[in-house]
Amino acid sequence: MAANFEEIKKDVKKKVAEITELPEDKLKEDAKFVEDLGVDSMMALEIVASIEKKYKISIPEEEIPTIRCLNDVYAILEKRIK
Amino acid sequence: MTLKGKTAIISGATRGIGKAIALELARQGAKISFNYLKSVNEALDLEKEIAALGSCAKAFQSDIKDFGAVADWVNKSKETFGGLDIVINNAGIIRDKALAMMAPEDWLEVINTNLIGTINLSRAAIMTLLKQKSGQIVNISSVTGVVGMPRQTNYAASKAGIIGFTKALAKEVAAYGIRVNAVAPGFIETDMVGQLKDDLRAKLNAKIPLGRFGKPEEVAKAVQFLISERAGYITGQVIVMDGGLSIS
Repeated sequence: MAANFEEIKKDVKKKVAEITELPEDKLKEDAKFVEDLGVDSMMALEIVASIEKKYKISIPEEEIPTIRCLNDVYAILEKRIK
Repeated sequence: MTLKGKTAIISGATRGIGKAIALELARQGAKISFNYLKSVNEALDLEKEIAALGSCAKAFQSDIKDFGAVADWVNKSKETFGGLDIVINNAGIIRDKALAMMAPEDWLEVINTNLIGTINLSRAAIMTLLKQKSGQIVNISSVTGVVGMPRQTNYAASKAGIIGFTKALAKEVAAYGIRVNAVAPGFIETDMVGQLKDDLRAKLNAKIPLGRFGKPEEVAKAVQFLISERAGYITGQVIVMDGGLSIS
């Protein structure tokens, strides 16, 4: 699972880079989307919609505003997939 | 039946404009979720009235001033009806007084019910609409929020606040296929203006170019228009419905 999750993280990072229109190397795991990367706060919603669809999971609405960086996306996903 | 299969959530629908909106949307086929604070009998009556129209409605006891209670209402409503498409922010109260005579509870109660209540319900519902990339929000403002009326500083502030909220939210969510509009009624035949004395009514009527008070059903028709596809290119707007009072 651990190795698999590393693969998933790579995929997610790629997807997030696509949605936020940022190069992957700029997308550091703990860089805040809004404050550090200048991404629109509503992008969190696009990210959630995209990973919900891809991994067939449902993320509760109240967790969406807590997504502030890539690590937060991983954490939410890990909780649901593992 | 333009709203068949849709679910509408309406705050403060047990009487007046809110009730007329609930009935109008139900007539168009929408399922109705509405809240009440104390009027349990009126709420149950409205459920029956809507059932008689061939649609369905459910009343939830929920204080619009309390975000937690409102979020709970929205969640239960989604569970009951399986979705959410239309949000009508209608709940409103008045505590009319000259500012010099007003107590803090007079403005806090009015702002918390009318403006904060609108934000509470919109916030509780917006994530659902954003995720499905569709939805309609109509906020009930007032002509006093546009032009101001003496002894209504608290009410006017709350209703002007709703207009600002409407415009800002409309811009924020337009990309997600959600339209947000407001109606600003003038004097409408409801309990709220029913207590006016006859001589005052006559004076007011004389100031209204159309020479009469409006009907709740007329406001409901405007709301129905705004959420319909016919208004598909309208967002962030305020329709003033006051018989011409604000232009006279």
